[in-house]
Amino acid sequence: MDRPMTTHFISAEVDLHDTAEELHSAIEIELQKHGEPLRWAVTDVDVDRQKAVVEGYVLVEASPAKA
Amino acid sequence: VNPRPLTVVLIVPTGVGASIGGFAGDALPVARAIAQISDTLITHPNVLNGAQLYWPIPNALYVEGYALDKFAAGCWGLQPVHQNRIGLILDAGIEPDLQLRHLQAVDAARATLGLNITDCVLTDRPLQVELRISESGASWGTIGNPDSLLRAAEKLIKQARVEAIAVVARFPDDEGSLALENYRRGKGVDPLAGAEAVISHLVVRTFKIPCAHAPALSALPLDPHLSPRSAAEEIGYTFLPCVLAGLGKAPQLVAPENQQHNQLSITADQVDAVVIPATACGGSAILSLSGRSSVQIIAVGDNKTQMQATPEKLGIKALQVNSYLEAIGVLVAKRAGISPASLGADISSLRRLSD
Repeated sequence: MDRPMTTHFISAEVDLHDTAEELHSAIEIELQKHGEPLRWAVTDVDVDRQKAVVEGYVLVEASPAKA
Repeated sequence: VNPRPLTVVLIVPTGVGASIGGFAGDALPVARAIAQISDTLITHPNVLNGAQLYWPIPNALYVEGYALDKFAAGCWGLQPVHQNRIGLILDAGIEPDLQLRHLQAVDAARATLGLNITDCVLTDRPLQVELRISESGASWGTIGNPDSLLRAAEKLIKQARVEAIAVVARFPDDEGSLALENYRRGKGVDPLAGAEAVISHLVVRTFKIPCAHAPALSALPLDPHLSPRSAAEEIGYTFLPCVLAGLGKAPQLVAPENQQHNQLSITADQVDAVVIPATACGGSAILSLSGRSSVQIIAVGDNKTQMQATPEKLGIKALQVNSYLEAIGVLVAKRAGISPASLGADISSLRRLSD
């Protein structure tokens, strides 16, 4: 909490999965590449390409400064 | 034998331009109606908050969006309370007169509603909220100093032992913008809503405590063409009373290991139905709940949003209805143990499974 934090907006495409639960996990994994997911949603699905279009935002905590 | 209680989740996602519930607490009538035929209604601040206006619904649980996502995923349970001790965070970026307006709103809630609001903290830096609209048309925003927000919350929790937190952040006055003009006409997307969700999500995620947000804004000039859907935000100086009323009885958020010791806590496996705009099925809570066979997802067609995430596109099994009136009929049928299909003119033939 003493370290600076920033919030970032992320837009991504995630492969559709067989179940919604698997899609949920895949989205979280994708967003975690950018930070801690705070809020996200699938905004559309490209049915032909079987891709979910996802928008979300993540929290990024700055690394401790090196001495 | 006690019948199984009917537990319903009502979601109208924030900041996606929902034609019902995308403005000033204008899904509250829907919540009131659904609560009448539910034993427990679980819904969130965007549905219940009408700035100066709110309605106490005894069987409704006021659950912030991040907590609702965790609840739906089975990570957190909801523990009803009699009353929460509430703390207030004021953004240091709010002008002194506007701060005073909010402190007076808190005093009014203490004196007139009997709420237990005990302590107030000013953030150590301005939160610096900025507003954005995404490619999909949803509103969102960034906070320049999220660490300052979290330090203020930590102080309230550790020093004042508060059980719920109301945050008031200074939002940019957007006067003259097309987005605000549309919003006041009951059209388009609430430009503030996405950033509000970032603020409350940050606090709930970090401290697992009920939290809700009210923006601090300068009063707007009188508009004779104001939409009824937006009017609740223009009848006072702050948006805070509904937040304080909601947090006063918001359920505590409990981890699974603690739920076993408390039979009153509500968990995702008790949910019977979730009501959602048909184009906004792509959120975390719906994807989680759709994996539970006992949950009936009811997708409402005439609550339009900027999203395009329908149940069919996502492969989610849902019952599509046109309106909330129809959704309420489905819930009545479900409660009575009647298949909704048997209330229509055409009843399909029995399906014969192949060997």
